[in-house]
Order: sequence, then C-alpha cells, then structure tokens
Amino acid sequence: METVTLKVFRFDPEKDKIPYYRDYEVPVEGTLLNALLYIKENLDPTISFRAFCRSEVCGSCSVRVNGKTKLACKTPMKELVKTWKGKPLRIDPLNHMKVIRDLVVDIDKPIEKMKTLIPWLVPDPRVVPSDPRHESIIYPEEMELYKDQIHCMLCFSCYSACEAVEDNERYRGPFAFSKAYRFQVDRRDIETAKEKRIRYSISGGLWSCVQCQKCIHVCPKGVKPAEDIQNLRGQAVKKGFTDKPGAKKLKHYVDWIYATGQINRLYLPEEVYGNKEARKKLTEEYERMGIEVWEVPKPTKGLMKFRDIYLEILSREDKALELDFSHVRKIDKMVSDIFKADICTIVDRAHQNNRKSKGLIGKLKGLLGGSDD
Amino acid sequence: MIKVGFYQGCCFQGQDAHMFETMKEVFRMIDVELELLEETTCCGGNTIDEENRKLSYAINARNIALAEAKGLDMLISCNTCYMVIAKAKNALDNNKKLRDEINELLKEEGLEYRGTNKIYHLLDFFRDVVGYDRIRKAVKRPLKGWKVGAYYGCHVLYPKHTAIDDGDNPSSLQEVLKALGAEVIDDYEAKDTCCGYHAFFTDKTMTMKKLNRILGSVKKAGVDIVATPCPLCFKSFDIYQLQMENPPMVPSAFLPELMAYAFGLDKRKSGLGHHLIEVKKE
Repeated sequence: METVTLKVFRFDPEKDKIPYYRDYEVPVEGTLLNALLYIKENLDPTISFRAFCRSEVCGSCSVRVNGKTKLACKTPMKELVKTWKGKPLRIDPLNHMKVIRDLVVDIDKPIEKMKTLIPWLVPDPRVVPSDPRHESIIYPEEMELYKDQIHCMLCFSCYSACEAVEDNERYRGPFAFSKAYRFQVDRRDIETAKEKRIRYSISGGLWSCVQCQKCIHVCPKGVKPAEDIQNLRGQAVKKGFTDKPGAKKLKHYVDWIYATGQINRLYLPEEVYGNKEARKKLTEEYERMGIEVWEVPKPTKGLMKFRDIYLEILSREDKALELDFSHVRKIDKMVSDIFKADICTIVDRAHQNNRKSKGLIGKLKGLLGGSDD
Repeated sequence: MIKVGFYQGCCFQGQDAHMFETMKEVFRMIDVELELLEETTCCGGNTIDEENRKLSYAINARNIALAEAKGLDMLISCNTCYMVIAKAKNALDNNKKLRDEINELLKEEGLEYRGTNKIYHLLDFFRDVVGYDRIRKAVKRPLKGWKVGAYYGCHVLYPKHTAIDDGDNPSSLQEVLKALGAEVIDDYEAKDTCCGYHAFFTDKTMTMKKLNRILGSVKKAGVDIVATPCPLCFKSFDIYQLQMENPPMVPSAFLPELMAYAFGLDKRKSGLGHHLIEVKKE
C-alpha cells in the first residue's frame, strides 16, 4: 500500500513550552480527513483536530497543508501526493487564530469581527409583512444575486489565507464581507442597515483588501469574497463615501479609461493622494535614464465607438451619471493641448498616418503605440 | 515562426514603451512574432469591476474580439490583465445571454466575441507553445552564478478557474529561469505573499508591509535579484520599494528582461539598465 508522511503540528499549551511536529506514516487513499482519523484510530489517540460531517457541510476540518489552506474532508490524499510529488506533507492549524490544541484553533475572534458587519436581515417593514402568516416572496432573479454567498459554512479557510488579515489587525475577513454583501442585495433588508454595513465595512478594512484572490482560491464552497469586496466598494462610492483613496482611484479608472481607453499612472498619485510632485519626479527620473515619458496614454483607434459601448453599459446599469464628464473634458483638453488637435481628429489622424510619419514626432509615438525607428 | 497577438495593457506604454521593443526582440529569438493588438484598451485593472462587472466583461470582450478578428490567439504579459481577461472570457463562454448582449454592442465597431481563440499568459505560453528547449537554445549569456528569486505574483495562480499553473506548488517560472542558466531560489518564506501593488492607491501601509515581508525574506535567502513574470509586481518591487522606510534595495526584474539579457542583449537594451534600483550583477 502506498504511504506518505504527514508532519503534524502538535501543541498542548498545558504541557508544551513550544509547538513541535510529529511524523505519521499514513495510507495514500481517501481524503486528508481519512488520514487524520487513521492516525487517531491506529497510531496516536492523543492528536486533536476538529471534524464532524465528513461531507463538506459543517466546515470544521480546515487545516493547512504545506502552508496551503484545505478543507480536509474535501481533499483527496492522491491529489496532495501528486501536487507535492510524494514529499512529506506538513499539516498546520489554520493561520491567524490562536491554537487551542494541535490542529484546533479558537474561532471566536473572526466570529466577533463578522458580527460587527450586521450579517443578518434587518427587515424593511414596507417589504416584509408584519403578520407572520404572510410570506415575503423572493423571486429567482433576486436569489441569483446571493446564491453563492449563502453557502458560506464558516470554515475560516479564507480568513486563514487572507493577506489583509495578515497585515491589518482590524480587517474583518473575507467571509465577513461576503456575509455582509449578501444582505446588501436583499430587497427585504432596510436601507438604514445597508448604510450601516457600508460604514462598518469601511472602518473594518474594506479598502485594505489587496485583491490577491486567495480567498476565492481556497473557498471550498465557491464563494468569491474578493469579488464581494469589490461590489461593496462600488456600493460605498455610490452611497457617497468618496473620501478614501480607494474611491478616488476608482474614479481615476472610470474617467480615464472612458476618456482615453487607458489609465494614466503619471496622474494617479496626484488624483488619489494630491501628490503633484510624483509626476514630476517620475518623469525626471525616467528622462535621466534616457526614457521618453508621454504625459497622456495613447488614445486607441476606435476610441469614440469604445466610448459609446462604455456609456451604454453604464446607462443600462443605471450608472452613467457616475462618469465625471467635467473630468473627462479636462482630460480631453490635456490630450488636445499636447497633440495640437481635438481628440476625434487625433484618433483619426493617427491611424491615417503610417508608422513612419515624422509629423508630430515624440509625443505621437505614444499615440501610434510603438517606436518610430 | 509562431504568430500571436500581443495585448499590452497599461504597461508597455508611456514610460515603459521601450519594453515592447525588447519583448518583440526576445520573442523573435524564440521564433515568435508578436503582433501588437493596437486597438485594445486597458483591461480595467480589476478596478473597473468595482464600478460594474458587466463593464469589465464588455471592455474585455472587445479586447479579445480584436484578436479574434485577426485570427490570432492573445498573449498577455501582465498577471492582472491576464486574470481579468480570463475571468471575462470565462463569463462570456458560460453565459450566452451576456455574450449576446455584449455582442450586440460590439456590432457597432464590426466586432464579435466568438470565444474561438485562446488567451495566454507568458508562463503558460512558454510552457505549452514555445517549450523550454527553445528558450534554452536561445541563451547566449547563461545567467551562471545568478541567484534568482522566483516570484510569481498572485493573479496567475489564483483563483483556480483562471490559474495557469498549480496554485499550491507551481513550477513554470522556475523552469524558465533554469533554462536561462540561473540558480533558482523558490523556497523563501514570503514566496506566496502578495506584492501589494493593488493596495498602493487604496491602503498604502498594506503595500509597504507586503514589500517588507517579501524583500526581507528574499534578502535573507541571499538572492541577487527577484524575477517576476508580472510587470505590476515588478513596479511594486522597483518603484514602491523606494518608499519604504529603510529600503533593502533588492534589485528585481520583469522576466522578459532577464531573458533578453541571457539572450545576449546588453543591460540597457534588455531593460535591466533602466531600473530605479540598479541591477549590478553581470
């Protein structure tokens, strides 16, 4: 029978000064949970871990394998051996929580953090009937908005893998934001509660998420916290919470991409942090190295049609007014000043001229998207 | 000669435009012709998704459609662009209603998203299309004695449905670096830590803490240079590192630059000579 070594984290705070690892030889069959149960039943009854349903429902058996978060009952041993090419598998308790004993961690802290985001329904009396004999109907298309989020079983895999939890003590955790978002799109939930959730999300680190996508990667139930965090950020801006750098960054993206088809990294520090020096410094630094810097990105061919598509989608989603047209006009003016023509003419001209044209030289090189020589 | 459509995104423009010429040269040396997909726009940088996900899908349906119109597969050299475009492709391929709605809008430009052509990131393109042998053969100046830290960046490894390698134990970057003759260091403590690029304009302290972890960790592992296949991770390392309180001054490279240098281009032409944190290793 094929076997593999599990190096299991052991720590009993009542007996041990520091944690240690113990090796166990286990069969390569069934799931990682089977292997842990095999150890408990056949090799070492003193080992502690949490497990209950054995069928990906209760969410209690999450651990880390060579640092990567896994739900033990969902992880085939064969797959682990294949991934790690037969090398020993180091089994650790989940990250970011205090170890109670061996693989058992204290989940109180993330639970308390989650509660601050009001992860429950606050009924809107205009929608939810006060008479308990009357139901409030949920239509399938409404359900569509939170059909994934409701599968969260609090396994804390995402909390363990999260980069923001790692470096921001206040950060509520990916699952907590998914739980909150689920009620943000529930018609039965009252507007005042939605407003509070946004407020509390912001103070709970909404803008600290680094968008690494690890939460989506490790979730055994297909929840996408990183995307829910994006959705919450969008809601925050829409509700007028526009003072945070992240909100200004979003505005930069929305306006500049509409105006030119590109973001403008030279202007980001100024538009987000009010740092006017950065553009100058960066430009000088690159010029010192002999690299030409273009102040505006290349307006792409088909830009005007691209703008139509962009605006059409935004209006269909009832978001067209979120484009800041005065900002767009400023960008247009910047483009015209540099290229000595209005943006429509520039786009047309750039693509009539062949690549070897020396007309507007330097600045136009950017427009043509390549070198002139 | 293999021909592929090259998606430049926001990198390879403005102050980085010289890099496209280097990329073209590097790819020519491994028998690949890059055709610049000129009419494409920014992918939305995973930020437009905050405004509206459908807008992100539409922008990228248009980007992919531009490659498809030329009958080309699309090569994307930025981790984030890759992930955002792959997510859009995934949504469009699995949702006919969404595809029809967006195609209706693309019609105006005479474009159509069909889903017929592939999208690649550098790493799976090297592994599945070019092959490591061809890279090995193009090397004229092996990176002998270079201790290179392999740093993937997140968006090619996670989430699973768009990943181009095994997110738990990837190998495609090490293979390229080995083919260049470098000594690969891939077991440093913070190898999986996010570079923090995307937090720079949302929560700057987060970026600084991430850089501190990664660069401290590679320094401890004794690397000469960190190599990443993502131009954004590279910017985080080369530009944002200087904003740290005590910058460890760890040099870094965007993978194609190292390839260019190993293929015989000089420091300046390869791009390695243009870094804010100087690459001293010869």
